[in-house]
Amino acid sequence: MRAVAILLAAWALGGAPFPTHADPGETDPDLAATDPDYAAARKAIVAKQWEEAIARLRKAEVRNPDHADLQNYLGYAHRNLKQFDAAFRHYKRAIALDPRHRGAHEYIGEAYLMVGDVPNAEKHLAALRAICLLPCEELTDLEKAFASYRR
Amino acid sequence: MRVKRLAFAVSASFLLASSLTTRAHENEVPGGKLGKVSFPTSCTTAVQPAFERGVAMLHSFWYSLAEKTFADILAQDPACTVTAWGYAAILMSNPLAGAGASADGAKKAQAAIDNARRTPPKTQRERDYVEAVAAYYDDWANRGEKARQLARSRAFEALAAKYPDDDEAQIFNALYLAGTQSQADQTYAAYAKAVAILEPQFKKYPDHPGVAHYLIHSYDAPPLAQKGLVAARRYADIAPDAPHALHMPSHIFTRVGSWEESVATNRRSATVARTAADWPEAYHASDYAVYAYLQLARDEEARLVMEEAFRYTGGDSPSPAFPYAAAAMPARFAMERGDWKAAAQVKPVASKMPFTEALTYFTRAIGAARSGDVAAAEVDAGQLAEIHKRLETSKNTYWATEVEVQRLAVAGWIAHAKGNAEEGVKLMRASADLEDRNEKHIVTPGRIVPARELLGEMLLEQKQPAAALKEFETSQVREPNRFRNYAGSALAAEAMGDRKKAAEYYAKLLALSSKGDGTRPELTRAKAYVAQR
Repeated sequence: MRAVAILLAAWALGGAPFPTHADPGETDPDLAATDPDYAAARKAIVAKQWEEAIARLRKAEVRNPDHADLQNYLGYAHRNLKQFDAAFRHYKRAIALDPRHRGAHEYIGEAYLMVGDVPNAEKHLAALRAICLLPCEELTDLEKAFASYRR
Repeated sequence: MRVKRLAFAVSASFLLASSLTTRAHENEVPGGKLGKVSFPTSCTTAVQPAFERGVAMLHSFWYSLAEKTFADILAQDPACTVTAWGYAAILMSNPLAGAGASADGAKKAQAAIDNARRTPPKTQRERDYVEAVAAYYDDWANRGEKARQLARSRAFEALAAKYPDDDEAQIFNALYLAGTQSQADQTYAAYAKAVAILEPQFKKYPDHPGVAHYLIHSYDAPPLAQKGLVAARRYADIAPDAPHALHMPSHIFTRVGSWEESVATNRRSATVARTAADWPEAYHASDYAVYAYLQLARDEEARLVMEEAFRYTGGDSPSPAFPYAAAAMPARFAMERGDWKAAAQVKPVASKMPFTEALTYFTRAIGAARSGDVAAAEVDAGQLAEIHKRLETSKNTYWATEVEVQRLAVAGWIAHAKGNAEEGVKLMRASADLEDRNEKHIVTPGRIVPARELLGEMLLEQKQPAAALKEFETSQVREPNRFRNYAGSALAAEAMGDRKKAAEYYAKLLALSSKGDGTRPELTRAKAYVAQR
């Protein structure tokens, strides 16, 4: 979860860690800059107010039904409430929208470990190994989660 | 009423001010032959020809001149507020490039739209055109470019449906549909919809600049490119005085490997663009010309085009065309000639667009790794990793993927240089596979070198000629008629003992470079092989 933590901490301090909209071309919009519910949801996640985060994300989802990061956050909030069915649904949606979404692969893998579903967790570990031929922290974190699980 | 008049005066003077900024080009750019466009309006008959010329400029993305033309018309006929549509449309920049309007452009466009709302055009159709373009600018600052593009496409789709007999509405609808094409969608669904509208229009209007132009864009993908050749060969003759019209056919010529045609049209385009002080277009055309010359092994001419381009300043522009071309040309010049030491020395140039800097670090790293300086390659690989992180964080998904392709290739060549052959191929193959799933951006004629071609070269160095040839031949499907590909294919076939195939590829290489400088070592080998037989 280090990536999410760094990103959220940066936001809690008052802004994105790097400039957004700095590049033309295929830049995706930074939803937090344009959607107040999404921005509020991220603050709620930092404050561990999971239900508030879900309520705000659901409102933002109506306007942004195909946003992989939003789905990933929904999965994360549900996971923290131990609502695993909903968490899996949103993580899967995030991956369907962006098959190379490293964060969603890591978090769904961790969620599967939390419910003891090792075969499914391993599928996402394998997916991350295929994506992260160059080192990436999402793979490292999921490998650590596996190591902890097996201890 | 006084307030209304004052607001109009402010808007009109705003438009006029921008007109003055381009007035310097007036004598240098007469407009000239721009193709045939019919766009009836309720404006005075005195301005109607200029209006249609402005629409023709809009169809050929002639930004500075179209902006001035619409501003001048409004000054001459203040009731002709449908000019707000044309003015706002040209300020959206190239709808296929993804960058969209600049912040300053959006302000100017909104002022024109507001003026048209206060003093509405006389006909409902004209008011609907203004509102269609207004959909793009609505809440501009708070929406991303993709959201604006979708809103624009929906608005023009509705306009086209409301006016089925208005062919200009159909044509602009096709353009903005094509502008929604994702580079990750290899079914090319949006392009297909645009083509379905444009092909019947092309039969009806063979001299229309927009129809030919947008057909080229809608066929600008490897499996579609052959179908775009008719439009490509027509467009430059339809609007020979528009720099973009001279350049645009080369998008198709590059896809099909017709380098002589690409050189000819891009050299004309660069000259006309420089005359019009359109620096991004001049650099863009020069990059395409350099790419084409290097395939023909006309290296000296490539160098001269590059040097000529660099004599002129690019200035600041929301378009990536200038910084991309400025970074790409020296990179191509080194890499396409296999001059790895020169590649390792290409100088990085700071850019507001980090993906253009990535081109340089990619080139440097590959050059260093292939000339044995692994330490230097690793330093540049670190720069690429940092740029990749910045692009990911700013959600620039497309260019983050392109830089990931470069990172994987660099890591592959570093592994190969360290003697980790298997790891090198694994990384290089991942690079090629990822690149094949992501279409090239229209800002470039092609990646600096195709990743799959680099994979073929690595396999060749690892004495796996059959595997290498397979990759070269796969690469030819998407990137046909390339010098390095034929050279690699010939070497691989020769190493396999397939004399017939080797001779065929060497013959292709010699034919391709028949007007070349003859200085590349691959040509010496090709001539020796052919002579031996």
